[in-house]
Order: sequence, then structure tokens, then C-alpha cells
Amino acid sequence: MELLFQFLTNTGYWLADYRQIIMIVVGSVFVYLGTAKEYEPLLLVPIGFGILVGNIPFFKGFGLGIYEPNSVLHYLYFGVTTGLYPSIIFLGLGAMTDFSSLLARPILMLLGAAAQMGIFFTLLSALALGFLPKEAASIAIIGGADGPTSIFLTAKLAPHLIGPIAIAAYSYMALIPVIQPPIMRLLTTRKERLIRMKELRDVPKKELVIFKALAVLLCCFLAPASIPLLGMFFFGNFLKECGVTDRLAQTARTAIIDTATILLGLTVGASTQGDVFLTGKSVGIFLLGAVAFSIATASGLIFAKIMNLFLKEKINPLLGAAGVSAVPGSAREVHVVGQSEDPENFLLMHAMACNSSGVIGSAICAGILWSFMLA
Amino acid sequence: MALVGALIVFAGLVLLSTTIYIFPKILMLWEKRQIELEKNQKMQMEDKPKEQQALSLPKQFPSDINEVANLYKPLIEELDETFYLTDLYEISKKYDFPHPHITLAAFRDSEILISHGEGVFTWNQPEDNENE
Repeated sequence: MELLFQFLTNTGYWLADYRQIIMIVVGSVFVYLGTAKEYEPLLLVPIGFGILVGNIPFFKGFGLGIYEPNSVLHYLYFGVTTGLYPSIIFLGLGAMTDFSSLLARPILMLLGAAAQMGIFFTLLSALALGFLPKEAASIAIIGGADGPTSIFLTAKLAPHLIGPIAIAAYSYMALIPVIQPPIMRLLTTRKERLIRMKELRDVPKKELVIFKALAVLLCCFLAPASIPLLGMFFFGNFLKECGVTDRLAQTARTAIIDTATILLGLTVGASTQGDVFLTGKSVGIFLLGAVAFSIATASGLIFAKIMNLFLKEKINPLLGAAGVSAVPGSAREVHVVGQSEDPENFLLMHAMACNSSGVIGSAICAGILWSFMLA
Repeated sequence: MALVGALIVFAGLVLLSTTIYIFPKILMLWEKRQIELEKNQKMQMEDKPKEQQALSLPKQFPSDINEVANLYKPLIEELDETFYLTDLYEISKKYDFPHPHITLAAFRDSEILISHGEGVFTWNQPEDNENE
């Protein structure tokens, strides 16, 4: 009888805490949004399931939880805390990215730079709210709307905040269809949204190949701390374009990135243990994350309008919203909003140019913030 | 800190976009230059066989010095009436004449090459030898 009672006291039903129940509900919502609504399912399903797994109550000291040094989840989490998974994801991302639209219209790269302003505005806001500089920098990077970059920088600067920052970054990436369109409509006129972009020139293969070498040198010389991200990103892209490593590129953009995404999503989800995750700081991070993402979108849009004051050949300011690095979600959303005004207006390729510039921009920002904090 | 960071990112991406903008132009210039070079090389290749044809040498060089002198005649025509021996030596090397040093010495011995001092020479091949 005593044995049965002892067993019962060790079960999750007995050990359950209200915070874990809340997180299990949150995890279920993520899984629901990913599967039923198909909001970024490749991200939300592993994260949501990870939240469920990470919040099952267990007897502490058995080596089960993600924060217990000898647990399996802890070993898998190693890839997050060291910044390993983000680097691998950038390799796969590089092998997927097509830079031809960016090379055909390099001026669109400025929109990728403008959208990074959200990061620096949030940095100031977080500092004003009393976060420590390293924490503020980690929170600010959410404005880049790039999950792997956010995790990478947080792992380096404020590892104790990885859970809330990763969840916030991925949540806002998944909520692009909800957050961005109202801002786009608010900051642009119908006439502006109807602007059609000139057809892009064909970019020769040689240009595409040499660009990688130039870009990696220019960017990494400027912010060497972004080597783990941009080095892998451009390497992946070089594998794709050089024409002799198709097998490697194929593996990088399928098996490798998928494995890293599964492990990253699951362990980041599992790191949101209710007792560690549900704090006032997490709420603050979520709010600041929303501000960062909205400001990033708005700065891209406003900068595009400013550029139009000087350009002979006007650009559609909606493209500014794709300057955040949420690939390809924000580019898709720009295209959808553009087509809702004029079904004949095809903005996707142009928006992808801004999007890939945003990936480079946010990785440079991560490198810069890391260098600032080390100084 | 935020302002400096923003400026660095902007400067970086402006630099990259400028490079991307200029890059195709440089590449085009380079390709143009390559095409020109290839054209020139092709033209040179077309010209070369003609020259070689004009100076085609027998597989086995004759042993008679006058016959050898006949083979040297087109080279002499490329030079002035008086010429430096070094010039004749260079030109015979250019057209792959075998052992020019020994041949020129033999020409001097048989007075086909007449020295006028200070390295200047004239060609002295009798008409009947030329017709041989």
C-alpha cells in the first residue's frame, strides 16, 4: 500500500503545478495553430510539442528535465546553448536562398537595412525598462524576426532567457499574417500599394557565384562575430550555386536543416518549464518582442517611402515590410497584400530580395550587438 | 550604442549593395577584355601558319652549304642590305632553324656572309648558287 502511495506521489498528476498546466495549454495552442491553421507548422509543431514534453511534471533529481545536467534533453539542448543549431540552420537556409533578385536590384538591400532599426529601438526600450545590457541586446534581436539569430545571440549573451526569447521570436514569425498586414495598410496609400515593379534582369551564374565570396568577406570583416551565421549561410549558398556540389546542397537544404529544426524546436519548447518560464521578465520580453517586430516592419515601410522621394523609378513601399528576415513568410505576406489590391501585381521575387537582405542584416546586427557587449 | 549599431549595419549593407551594383559592370568589362584577347589570339594563330608555311623547312637539312644558304634566303630578305649578325641569329632561332650558330659560322667560312666590321655583315650568295 505504501509502495502504491509512493508511486502515486511520483506521478505527474500528483506533482502538477498550475504554471505547468498553463504552459501545457500554451503548447497545445501552438500545436493546434501549426496543424489545424497551418501557421508555420515546421516551427510551431516541434516547439509546441516540446512545450508539452518539457512541462510534464516529474520527480526532480531523476535526470529527466532539460535543466538537469545528465538528462537526454539536456544533451540535445546543448546544440541550442552553444549556438550550434542556429549555425546549421543557416547552412541549410543558405542552400535554399536564391540571391538572383537581390543581385538584379541591389537597391532593395537598403530596405533590409532599414528594417533592422526595430532592433536598435527595442534595445533602448529594454534598457529603459531595466533589463541588463546583455539581456536587452538579446531581446532587441527579436526585431530581426529571425529565430535562429535570436537563439544564437541569446545563447551567447543571456542563456537564461533562451526559452522566452526563442518562443517570442518564433511566435512573431508565425504570426506574420496577423501582425504585418495592418501595419502595411496603415502606413501606405492604395496608390502606393498599386505600384508595379520593373521586371528583373537575368543574373549570370558567374555573378551569383562570385557574389558569395564578396559578401562573406565584406560582411564578416565588418562584424566578425557574425561568422558562425553568415559564414555558414554563404557557404550553403555557394554549395547551391557553384554547380559541382549539388548533392551537398541538396542534403543541406533538406536532411540537415530539417534535423536541426526538429532538435532546436523540440528543445526550445522543452526549455519553457512553467516554473522557470512564467515570470514577469518573460511577459516583458513578449511585449518588447511585439514592439520590436512592429517597429521593424514600420521602419522598412517608411524607408521605402523616403527612397521614393529620390528615385525616378518608384518602388512599391510594401516591399519595406519584407526587410525583416522572416524568410519567406514576410515576402509572401507582401505579395499577398499587393495582390489583394491588384491581382496582376507580382511582388514576390522583389520581396524575396528584401527578405534575403534582411537575413544578412539581422545576422550582422547580432554580430555587432555581441561585439558591443564584449567590449 | 543603438545609434552606432544602426549606422554600422546601414553602412555595411550600403557597401554591399554598392559592390553588387558595380560588380556586373566590372565583370562585363573583364569579359569584354577576355573576348578581345581571344580575338587577338585567334588572329595571331591564323597568321602564324602562313608564316610557317612560307618558311617550311625540310625534315632533313641539306649537307651542302649553298643549299643551306638557299633556305636562309627568305630570312635575309627580312633584314636590311647590311645587318648585324645577332639579328640574323635571332631571326633564324625564331623560325626554328637547326643549329644557327654553327650554320652562321660555316657561312662566314665560305664567305657567304661578309663581315664589314663591328658586327655588321652583308649576304654574298652567288646567283648560280641561288638557282640551285
